[in-house]
Amino acid sequence: MHKSRRWIYSIITLFLVIALLTVNLVSGSVHISMSEIIDAFRGAGDPVKSSIITDIRLPRVMSALILGGALAVAGYLLQTFFANPIAGPFVLGISSGAKLVVAMIMITFLSRGILLSSMALIGAAFLGSILSTILILIISKGVKNMSFLVVCGVMIGYICSSITEFVVTFADDSNIVNLHNWSMGSFSGTSNRDVAVMAIVVGITCIAVFAVSKPMSAYQMGEGYAANMGVNVRHFRVLLILLSAVLSSCVTAFAGPISFVGVAVPHIVRHIYKTNRPIVMIPASFLGGAAFCLLADLIARNLFAPTELSISSVTAVFGAPIVIWMMIGRSRKESIE
Amino acid sequence: MKDKLLLYTEDLAVGYEGKAVVENVNTDVHEGEIVTLIGPNGAGKSTILKTVGGLIPRISGKIYIDGKEPVYASGEMARTMAVLLTDKIHAEYMSAAEVVAGGRYPYTGRLGILREMDYEAVDRAMEIIGVDGLADENFNHLSDGQKQRVMLARALCQEPKLMLLDEPTSYLDIGYKIELLGKLRELADERGIGVIMTMHDYELARNIADTVVSVKDGRTEKCGRPEEMLRSEYICSLFGVDRDRYDVFFGAESR
Repeated sequence: MHKSRRWIYSIITLFLVIALLTVNLVSGSVHISMSEIIDAFRGAGDPVKSSIITDIRLPRVMSALILGGALAVAGYLLQTFFANPIAGPFVLGISSGAKLVVAMIMITFLSRGILLSSMALIGAAFLGSILSTILILIISKGVKNMSFLVVCGVMIGYICSSITEFVVTFADDSNIVNLHNWSMGSFSGTSNRDVAVMAIVVGITCIAVFAVSKPMSAYQMGEGYAANMGVNVRHFRVLLILLSAVLSSCVTAFAGPISFVGVAVPHIVRHIYKTNRPIVMIPASFLGGAAFCLLADLIARNLFAPTELSISSVTAVFGAPIVIWMMIGRSRKESIE
Repeated sequence: MKDKLLLYTEDLAVGYEGKAVVENVNTDVHEGEIVTLIGPNGAGKSTILKTVGGLIPRISGKIYIDGKEPVYASGEMARTMAVLLTDKIHAEYMSAAEVVAGGRYPYTGRLGILREMDYEAVDRAMEIIGVDGLADENFNHLSDGQKQRVMLARALCQEPKLMLLDEPTSYLDIGYKIELLGKLRELADERGIGVIMTMHDYELARNIADTVVSVKDGRTEKCGRPEEMLRSEYICSLFGVDRDRYDVFFGAESR
């Protein structure tokens, strides 16, 4: 029905992503022009500026793009799972659980002088995500009210964050700077190697998510109808949680917890595209999340330059009002029904 | 022609979490036959439907669908049997036609993209049920009765041999009830679709059902032709209604 319009929105978002990517590369404490960027990619030009581009700015914008997309898709998966649009990895405390386990494992190994590989960090984050997801699932069995579930999630998030703070405070001095930055959420400090790892993990997971968009659309109608259509509901629920956990733990491992992207982006996308069908929502949310995080990172880097803001404080300023707006809309709808 | 068994249960026990609600269910549905389950609220009519539909595990006994033991959560089962439930339907930003198109699930490819023939099947199903006028409406904005008819169109567009309908007429006004049950009768007669459903409108069931099964006190109490099963004496005893009071409301049976 709105097919052609949806294509136009997708192309606009794609252009937005490319434009933001370019602006992110150009702007910063050292001004680098477009032609110098092109030189840097061709291996010509000023070696210092080239190095700033290829070793610092490029991995940073790429991680904002990949992880932003991953977060939005992770949020969409949780929303599908709970049949509720307010679910997301941050508001349910899943990101903070991942953060806690990563911080503890990092400190344990760093104090013995062992540097962990990025895959090991993803693994640790995955463990934390799964643990806090299990906790939230146990809670969600008892309560059906989604707002209450979100409150529980936020509380779990706070508990995990304060334990993380506690652990970080007692860590070795040399580790603190890095850990502190990371535990606040930041795209800085990623290497090209990290980008390669996250591209592979997020890429494969998102393809897997897209491949199950058909059973997902049946699942959205309700469990009974999904079962009738030949979906093994029990297995599918586990699959949804696992895919979402892989994506959000990849984000947490590299950039720390980033708030509200998982809830706000799919909501805006749903609103613009006027659909909740997975086959549209998955790619559109990925693009939207990428654009959102690129913009947030641009603001975080440049608003009070040379001081950097944490990425979460920027995403929260934009994301939290959207979540409040959604909750008000929902409670109105519920009171009508 | 009408001899082919579509559904057959053998000493089936149904219930939740290992506890049987109804035991010794021995029911069958033939091609083109409409079977109606009647009984008091909570007797386990819906539980029987859900178990046969594979939505909840059975406690014990056997189920045969279209001649074999069903493999639930399979494409083949989805092409054989469609269900209409009383569950609340989540359909954010979906038009009625998109909801109906959900019924094409077992026929579409890996990504569920609809082909020309699928769109035609959707249109046809909506036309038959008489909801083609609602095609572009937002599903969530429809009335409960309209939703119920759209969901029936969805079940039909699944092109099943057997339909399990849980109170398909509960939200409909009398006009639509008659129309919808008439459609079901036609589908059963013309396409040989077997229907097993729960219903509380006994006056209407009398004229459309081929067989009536009563469920009470943890068993299928009785099974027979509607004219014997739906006599007021039996209805009164099944529901524990005093005969005189029944007559006050429904009048003495003179037909």
